[in-house]
Amino acid sequence: MMNRVNRLLLIAVTAVSLFGCATQQKIVDPRTMTFPALRFEIPKSERLQLANGMVVYLLEDHELPLVSMTAYINSGSIYEPAEKAGLAGLTGAVMRSGGTKDTPPEKLDAELEFMASSIETSIGADMGNASLSCLKKNLEPTLALFADVIMNPAFREERVTLAKNQTLEALRRQNDDAKGVAGRELRKALYANHPLGRYPTIDSVKNITRDDMAAFHKRYFHPNSAILAVAGDFDKKDIISRLEMAFAGWKKEPVDYPPVAQPRQEIKPEVLLAKKEINQSVIRMGHLGIDKSNPDLYAIRVMDYILGGGFTSRLTTEIRSNQGLAYNVSGYFDVGRRFTGTFLAETETKSETTAKAITLMRDIIAGMTRAAVTDQELKQAKDSIINSFIFGFARTDAVVNQQVRLEYYGYAPGYLENYRDNIARVTKEDVLRVAQKYLHPESMVLMVVGNDENFDQPLATFGPVREIKLENGK
Amino acid sequence: MKAVQRIFLLALCLSLLAPLAWGEGLADKVQEHTLKNGMKLLLVERHTSPTVAAWIRFRVGSVDERSDERGLAHLLEHMLFKGTKTLGTKDYAAEKPLLDKIEETARLLMLEKSKRETADRAMIAQLRQQLDELEKEAGRFVVKEEFAEIYARNGGSGYNAFTSKDGTTYLINMPANKMELWAAIESDRMKHAVLREFYTERDVVMEERRRTYDTEPEGRLWETFLATAFVVHPFGQPTIGWMSDIENLSRTKAEAFLHKYYAPNNAIVAIVGDINPVQTIALVEKYFGDIAPGTPVPPVAVEEPQQAGEKRIEVIADAEPQLIIGFHKPTLPSADDYVFDVIDMLLADGRTSRLYKKLVVEKQLVTDISSFTAPGNRYPNLFNLAATPRAPHTVQEVETAIYEELERLKKEPVTERELLQILNKLEFEESRQMLSNGGLARNLTEYEATAGSWRYLIEHRQKVATVTAADVARVAEKYLVRENRTIGVITKQEVAK
Repeated sequence: MMNRVNRLLLIAVTAVSLFGCATQQKIVDPRTMTFPALRFEIPKSERLQLANGMVVYLLEDHELPLVSMTAYINSGSIYEPAEKAGLAGLTGAVMRSGGTKDTPPEKLDAELEFMASSIETSIGADMGNASLSCLKKNLEPTLALFADVIMNPAFREERVTLAKNQTLEALRRQNDDAKGVAGRELRKALYANHPLGRYPTIDSVKNITRDDMAAFHKRYFHPNSAILAVAGDFDKKDIISRLEMAFAGWKKEPVDYPPVAQPRQEIKPEVLLAKKEINQSVIRMGHLGIDKSNPDLYAIRVMDYILGGGFTSRLTTEIRSNQGLAYNVSGYFDVGRRFTGTFLAETETKSETTAKAITLMRDIIAGMTRAAVTDQELKQAKDSIINSFIFGFARTDAVVNQQVRLEYYGYAPGYLENYRDNIARVTKEDVLRVAQKYLHPESMVLMVVGNDENFDQPLATFGPVREIKLENGK
Repeated sequence: MKAVQRIFLLALCLSLLAPLAWGEGLADKVQEHTLKNGMKLLLVERHTSPTVAAWIRFRVGSVDERSDERGLAHLLEHMLFKGTKTLGTKDYAAEKPLLDKIEETARLLMLEKSKRETADRAMIAQLRQQLDELEKEAGRFVVKEEFAEIYARNGGSGYNAFTSKDGTTYLINMPANKMELWAAIESDRMKHAVLREFYTERDVVMEERRRTYDTEPEGRLWETFLATAFVVHPFGQPTIGWMSDIENLSRTKAEAFLHKYYAPNNAIVAIVGDINPVQTIALVEKYFGDIAPGTPVPPVAVEEPQQAGEKRIEVIADAEPQLIIGFHKPTLPSADDYVFDVIDMLLADGRTSRLYKKLVVEKQLVTDISSFTAPGNRYPNLFNLAATPRAPHTVQEVETAIYEELERLKKEPVTERELLQILNKLEFEESRQMLSNGGLARNLTEYEATAGSWRYLIEHRQKVATVTAADVARVAEKYLVRENRTIGVITKQEVAK
């Protein structure tokens, strides 16, 4: 076949080798091209509530014979006790892998995979998820299993042990990857003494029992703490009655959430080093940032774009494109939803240019606070953010899930609708003001993983160094 | 801009590869058009949102490099973001003499450095300084990242490119009203690319290599494993190149490679989304129609000789053990390729797969096991199994358990239900792959380039449906044997602290 293909290619090329110069095209300048207006309205999903109180968002799309659902359950590792760190994540995994009261795991797996349906569950820092994906023709049996997994997980002992063993192995491997180490240790430093900075250890995982998982599930998984996103090839009336039926046995119950404090706001600069014999240093730096209710959010988004977003940012232009010091470089505010988020800047560079790259990054970040951005930078950032907004709506399932997340995290009404206008209103003065208010280049926590013997300058140049000993599982 | 080569990415890529197929509707939705200069267009009209995915795939990848060109296709992928005679520059006429001086200086520098111990150090230092100064001078004419800037302010999203063994792809998602901008930029790039800032970008690629391979034990395992499995065929050479390969790449070499191959007759373009196909064809004809064809990419003539016995390599690293096992296999259009798709899914696709049930759940020897075909598809490749052992179990125990399952394939006939489940999964996959414009554009260009036609997507499930239990046993008996395999492991470094 390869030979045949090549012969065909040769023939095709022979045929076109006679091809001469075609018509002269008019020269157009991509710098100044203009375009017809784009017609776009934000697609709307429909919100309703089931008899048991569960909120459901629906968005039909009949192009493909598929249905997908994602349940968002108000839960998370922020609610697990410190001495059982890892409980939420394990509960999320074993909900699915441990089967349900009526359906043992082997049977659940076999039935789902034979239909090419999938059901997955997980619990992250501040959100629990259960998702379903299937062909339309298999919706009924898949939905029944989906509801069963959410309502009646069995947490079978042998599957609890399996999941714990897998987690323990992952902890034994947690320092294999230098970039993983840097991200984790920086987060621990930024969120010291807060659940967002807590990671499972071998001891905390060994502490977790089957009953802990069952109790964690029982405490948080109720219809009144869940929102369901449904997208795909279904009929509205039909799906509502199917959902009512599937979740009929799920009763409302008040949920008692443990209080979780906001992280400490004070800025405490530090220099952290984890030694690893590698020829390229992993560099991370940052501090705590803002949350979604901050009215300066839009100016910060514009500032982010100019500083560290995408290929034309100041960080990428200087550190990568002009100086060839790195392949990856970025800096951005990760806006917190329920808690204060972070500002993080990251890169990796060869050991011999470690201090040079750190100094450049800090200078570029500090530069944002010293002078206003140019008119061209401002326009570029705003045009890019506004004109690429539509790509958040390119898939029906993405649209409905986005709308669910806005309700889940309690975004103000009109957030999406007004987003582009809010970006358009940002001025150069706004960008400088928020840079001065929210960027703290002199007070960042700096985290480096690498071989300090080969650094161009000692890390102590940037402040007293605290070394982090890498011990697996701790 | 990332070379699609990391072991994980690869696995990801290839998990898309096995399960694909006879998309009802896809046959009617794809429109084909070939320009006179040989450029192939594949169009799909869909109106979910006012957006369009546009992918340009060149049928030239790292497998097409000679030994002194290793890394060139990938470096060129980076360089084709640097502009043209009109974009990315303030004044090309003034810039060009400087670019030529840079090239001559770099050539002398590489030549002197290649003398190693006998090299003239003072001369090297002087040339290096000269190169720095010339680059600085030329930099005054550069308009930084102008492609990216223009695309971004117009709302272009996901602007990127990747290089594999088989090909090189440039992709972007555009707002539907701006396809003419895409046509103007991409046709200019195909006609008038200028490889400015070459030696700085070469430094970026070295950092990319350190990031993806040198500092990643699994990356090192993968490239060492491939270089062992293939000693003759260029599938064995890393797409990014070895470090000393990259250090010796020049703009002169890159330009020769560019002008030979990056031409319309070696290009496949997929445009998927909110388009009018008639207008889109006219647009592409207008902008790309006058580009002259280049040299068709010649087939790689060398063949990997049959292995004389098992090959085994070890990478010692500051990391816990990993295992990878690869078996040489034929590629498309061999009927056995479809049998391998069945074996792949039987062994490691999902929680009901044989290796998952036996090694992850029952024996708990590993926390994770996967199978995938690699490193490319244009030439005979490898069927691979990768596993993460769970302490205290050793890679030897894992190997033994895997081989037991492979023997089962030869002896116990696969059940009808197992085969049916695979077809059901492929049916689902046919729809799933059409969920996003970009995903569909990816598959259309990939299979047009490597399977001979995008119609592979339509025919795959039908072909798999003809695979029998006897085929599975026969293929396992033929290929999944000791003398045909290569084994790679990561061994934890003993650290004296």
